[in-house]
Amino acid sequence: MQKTKTLNVLIPVLSILLAFFIGMLIILALGKNPIEAIGYLMKGAFGSKTNLANTVVRSMPLIFTGLCTCFAYRCGVFNLGGEGQFLAGAMAAITVSLLIGHEGWWVSIVAVLAGTVAGGIWGLLPGILKTWRGINEMITTIMFNYVATLFMGYLYTTALREGSVPQTAPVPDATKIGRIFPDLRITWGIVIAIVLGIAIWYFLFYTSKGFQLRAVGFNPVASSYNGLSVKKYMLTAFIVSGAIAGLGGAADVLGTQFRLISGYGGGYGFDGVALALIAQLHPLATVAVAYFFAVLRVGSTTMQVGTGVPTSVIDIIQALVIIFAVAGSSMMYLPKVRKFVTNLFERKEAK
Amino acid sequence: MKKILAIALVLCLAVGMLAGCAKTEAPAAAEKTFKVAMICDSSISDGGWGAACYNGMTAAAESRGWETAYTDAIDQSAYADTMISYCDLGYDMIFAPGNQYSDAVKQVAADYPNVAFAVLNGSIELPTANIMSILPNAQQIGSIAGIIAGLMSKSGVIGFIGGMELDTTKAKLAQFTAAAQVINPDIKVVSAYAGSFSDTAKGMELAASMINEGADVFFGDASAVDSGARQAIDQANGDTVKIYDIGQPADILGQNPCIVSSVVTDNARMIAICLEKVETGSFGNEVVFGSLENGAVFLGKFNDELMSADLQAQVAEYIKQLQDGTFGK
Amino acid sequence: MDWNTIAEVLTSAVRMATPLLFVALAELYSERAGLVNIGLDGIMAFGSLVGFLVCFWTGSPFLGVICGALGGVLVNMVYAFCTVTLAGQQIVYGMALNIFAPALASFIYRVVFGVSSTLAQATLMKTVSIPVLKDIPFLGKLLFDQTPMVYAVYLLVVVTMIYFNRTKSGLNYKAVGEYPKAAETMGINVIRTKYIASIICGFLAGMGGAYLTTCYVNTYSDGIVAGRGFIALAAVIFGRWSGSGVLMACLLFGLFDAMQLRLQVGTDLLPYQLFQMIPYVMTLIALTIFGSKIAGPKSKGKPYYREER
Repeated sequence: MQKTKTLNVLIPVLSILLAFFIGMLIILALGKNPIEAIGYLMKGAFGSKTNLANTVVRSMPLIFTGLCTCFAYRCGVFNLGGEGQFLAGAMAAITVSLLIGHEGWWVSIVAVLAGTVAGGIWGLLPGILKTWRGINEMITTIMFNYVATLFMGYLYTTALREGSVPQTAPVPDATKIGRIFPDLRITWGIVIAIVLGIAIWYFLFYTSKGFQLRAVGFNPVASSYNGLSVKKYMLTAFIVSGAIAGLGGAADVLGTQFRLISGYGGGYGFDGVALALIAQLHPLATVAVAYFFAVLRVGSTTMQVGTGVPTSVIDIIQALVIIFAVAGSSMMYLPKVRKFVTNLFERKEAK
Repeated sequence: MKKILAIALVLCLAVGMLAGCAKTEAPAAAEKTFKVAMICDSSISDGGWGAACYNGMTAAAESRGWETAYTDAIDQSAYADTMISYCDLGYDMIFAPGNQYSDAVKQVAADYPNVAFAVLNGSIELPTANIMSILPNAQQIGSIAGIIAGLMSKSGVIGFIGGMELDTTKAKLAQFTAAAQVINPDIKVVSAYAGSFSDTAKGMELAASMINEGADVFFGDASAVDSGARQAIDQANGDTVKIYDIGQPADILGQNPCIVSSVVTDNARMIAICLEKVETGSFGNEVVFGSLENGAVFLGKFNDELMSADLQAQVAEYIKQLQDGTFGK
Repeated sequence: MDWNTIAEVLTSAVRMATPLLFVALAELYSERAGLVNIGLDGIMAFGSLVGFLVCFWTGSPFLGVICGALGGVLVNMVYAFCTVTLAGQQIVYGMALNIFAPALASFIYRVVFGVSSTLAQATLMKTVSIPVLKDIPFLGKLLFDQTPMVYAVYLLVVVTMIYFNRTKSGLNYKAVGEYPKAAETMGINVIRTKYIASIICGFLAGMGGAYLTTCYVNTYSDGIVAGRGFIALAAVIFGRWSGSGVLMACLLFGLFDAMQLRLQVGTDLLPYQLFQMIPYVMTLIALTIFGSKIAGPKSKGKPYYREER
């Protein structure tokens, strides 16, 4: 079994390297030096203290949306609404911090709580539709994402708009989430994210409730025979995963972006799904893969800047990474591959 | 598990070595070549705002012998990272075409005091020791279009399509209306915002519905959406042009049959002023205004078939009044 | 509102519903085989670029539409291979297409046209009016004075309805989406059906994209698809996975869009985002009311493992 685990890690890593290899071929085809490109990527991500800090900053929202997916999927809830729940959290947090009429650390705590609750509610709605009306959550969560995105548009163009550009006013300085080191942009949000990752890992694998939750996800029919209330567990998974994403949205808007603007938070939700799947739904691995995604984002920005290839090429390479890595991890579940892997190891052990 | 660690280690080393190789770059040339980079949230091949800004930058850079680079179609979360990357790579100036970049510019500019930042349509309060705003006079742009529309409209209804409700767009609409009403007090303006700078089809639908309301002269501030509007106008016109469009920000006469003239913003001229200031070390704490007076805003060529010499002379006369401040008085 | 305005709004609604209808039918064929494809926006973007380029080079909008559709098939094969053969997560690959295909389209456009202050323009498909019928007052112009693509898509709706409800092959096709294992034991080749579904889906979605640049507007710009794929996705659900339902849903959403645009003109800025929410909110409400009865093909979204017993 240990060896299957190693393969679970090795295959995604190899797939990512393969995706990079193809990306480098594209860059070569454009007449640029791929080795130089990799150099820029590394420099952009790890070249200086600021850059390194940036990778951490960029990983924070991804960790939250990744954990959101991770928690829901473990209970058999295919919550694709991380995006909308993230935005709901961000919207609630900024509304509270702007309208409460005060500023200070206690406001940021209230705002973060409001964001968490809002995310939870935005997760609860598809949860109710699923448990009460039996409607597939994949569809409803996508719809709710769009509603949230459009509502955010209403907030920044009309309701909470400030000044010349369609955007909300910024979070007051005293309400912003504090930095850990004064000269780096890393905030305490990342600590919350990592602690949350560890907590979810502990809950899922070392508590009886966590075990039951996973049991529901693994086999709902058997679980209900064993007296577990499948609906209750599923609804909990909806709420908790939504709250995780909402917390992330609040932490992001209060710590990193400070205001809502057109295109805010775009793609975090789906990145979260992709990276949690690459991490095989393991909470700690999710945190690690989220960091890898952030490194890729920050590094590839410098790669684009340094080599001068069009931005679309960078998008293509990043999409290839997702396509290959997820293909790699889903391949592990194919009956043929599984059989092949077990045979391989059995033969070795026989020798 | 150990094997994996070993593999990972080897990979890291290999990548690290490759990275090391890349760093051996040519030593700096004797004479410094200045470099400017532009960031943009839309595509630079949108045939509108992005393209106009990019072309402005390259033209300005060429005139002063600068090198250029760009990063387009990026999200809000990447504004700061991208600018930081350019700063780290030794760029001398960063050109950000829009007020939406102000936050990120302020943040990055504080960390890189030696890099100059120019924000097009930036606010008057924005400039610091290393930030300058470039501010074309939106009121004049709107007024010029309003004058043409007021003179050309036979139906007494004119149309305006905006992309987003930016302050500059609102100012253009307000002055477009005001100027047209000076010419023809009974004129009616129909306006709408597309909520997008790229949804060409929406521009088409908006223009079609305005034509239905009787609008016969159009002006827009919505980038690629404008090209959809022009297409709707051309389709409604058929073979004889009786509904007109006023282009901006480049001189796009001849692109569509319906274009009667363009209100041109010469971004290159204003950017070149910034570049010069970087070269001489006098950059910062300043707003570069673009207006009729300094030639950064001007009226493009007329379509002689659509507009009589008499009307053209009237437009010129009114624009003169606009400069004198006597227009509408 | 006078008759003229109403006619104009309805014409515009039909115009806006057509690309939606192509793409919604694409999704219908995909989901009926159990494949939820949310990469419609991506496929459309690629289809619109290929359609535009071919139309620009050859001057033939028809060739453009066909090539756009083939481009859509090409892109969707990535999705098909990863979700059918590798049994990967359908949603992730849909989303990956939404990142990958528009980026590829943008890149190709940049390579071909560079950066200019105007967009390249291609010829548009001409409308073909049907004699006699087009002279019917009011309805004539609305229904019988359109491009051939519009007639084609309505014909396709009829064909789809007949295929799924009246033919054996259509029933087998639906069985793959409902109970793939049972279908396999009945001798239906599930994997092949899923691939065929992906080809149809790519073809129609690519065609919907190409419609935008060859029949609707005569330019290509990044972001031209503007979320239409997701509205089409909502239309499939709102239309309860049937040909006629999808038709009604698309027309309804097209009508809302047309009305929303008219309401903006003249009146003082209504928050247009609230209007844009309507398709999604209506779909959610419809789902709540009808519940799991209309939850669609049962196996949709789930990977299918052939050897599993």
